[in-house]
Amino acid sequence: MARARASASAGVVSAAVPVAVAIGVFGIVYGAAAGPVLGTPMTVVSSLIVFSGVAQFTMVALVAAGATPVAVLGAVATLALRHLPLGAVLQPVLTDGRGRRALIAPFLLDETTGLALTTDARAERTLAVSGGLAYAGWVGGTIIGLAGGTYASFEPLAAALFPVLFVGLAALTARTQSDAARAALAGVGSAILLITWPAADALGVIAVAVVVSCVVRAA
Amino acid sequence: MSLSLLIVVAAITIGSRVAALAMLPPLRGPVAAIAQRLPAPLFASLAALSITGSGGTVTRPILAATGCALVAALRWRSLLVILAAGMGGCLAASLIW
Repeated sequence: MARARASASAGVVSAAVPVAVAIGVFGIVYGAAAGPVLGTPMTVVSSLIVFSGVAQFTMVALVAAGATPVAVLGAVATLALRHLPLGAVLQPVLTDGRGRRALIAPFLLDETTGLALTTDARAERTLAVSGGLAYAGWVGGTIIGLAGGTYASFEPLAAALFPVLFVGLAALTARTQSDAARAALAGVGSAILLITWPAADALGVIAVAVVVSCVVRAA
Repeated sequence: MSLSLLIVVAAITIGSRVAALAMLPPLRGPVAAIAQRLPAPLFASLAALSITGSGGTVTRPILAATGCALVAALRWRSLLVILAAGMGGCLAASLIW
């Protein structure tokens, strides 16, 4: 039993480390981009307390464009809606009470949700371990970016890691032919949506996935 | 940008995560069935999002990485193998183009 648990934990770490490294590279990009807009202290604090690449990049872009605080909050609130489907798909595999779930909730990311659904360890433990590593990567990357760190040689690899990771997570969560058909349909549908309407962004593709899950019951 | 605005941004982001993970009521009936069907399409959609990027542009190394990951995913059910195949495809494409 102990050996199986240790093996599962090692599996979580080995899957989470490349993800954390890629997140760290994007943290470098964020630090370099946000520093001139927010200043060094606020850039570090933003990564420490927000820990959301999508929300932080959006916030910096809006602030740099002179947007009002209401516009910034509206955009961030809209982006935060993406967490609801992540919580919904994790619900069947969570065993801890609400209090302990609330403690690990800051680590609820697309990537950690996928790892929690596909690794052998308990979902809560996977979220905590992979989320902790991702957090360290994000904050560390932000500080390196602020210090003038270079990411040019790693940026293409980091950019490629996320689609690869999500392809792997889609494959591992597709347990039946119907799941695979829904995944293919959602992937193609999302690509078409993004090519024809790039502003659809994350919420648009999540809507595609939800619609496909609602409409395609069996294939 | 003020610290108070940043704190509200953090509260919205972290609060939505807490709501999703700890406060969402237990799903039942058709909604539970949809949530059960959701993971594979959700990750496939996120793959499409990360392939196209925020500007709708696709690079050859990313396409090669995704193609190699897809081929590996058809053969092996291991995330590490799929990651390795994808990164290998990306490196090879970067060297060729």
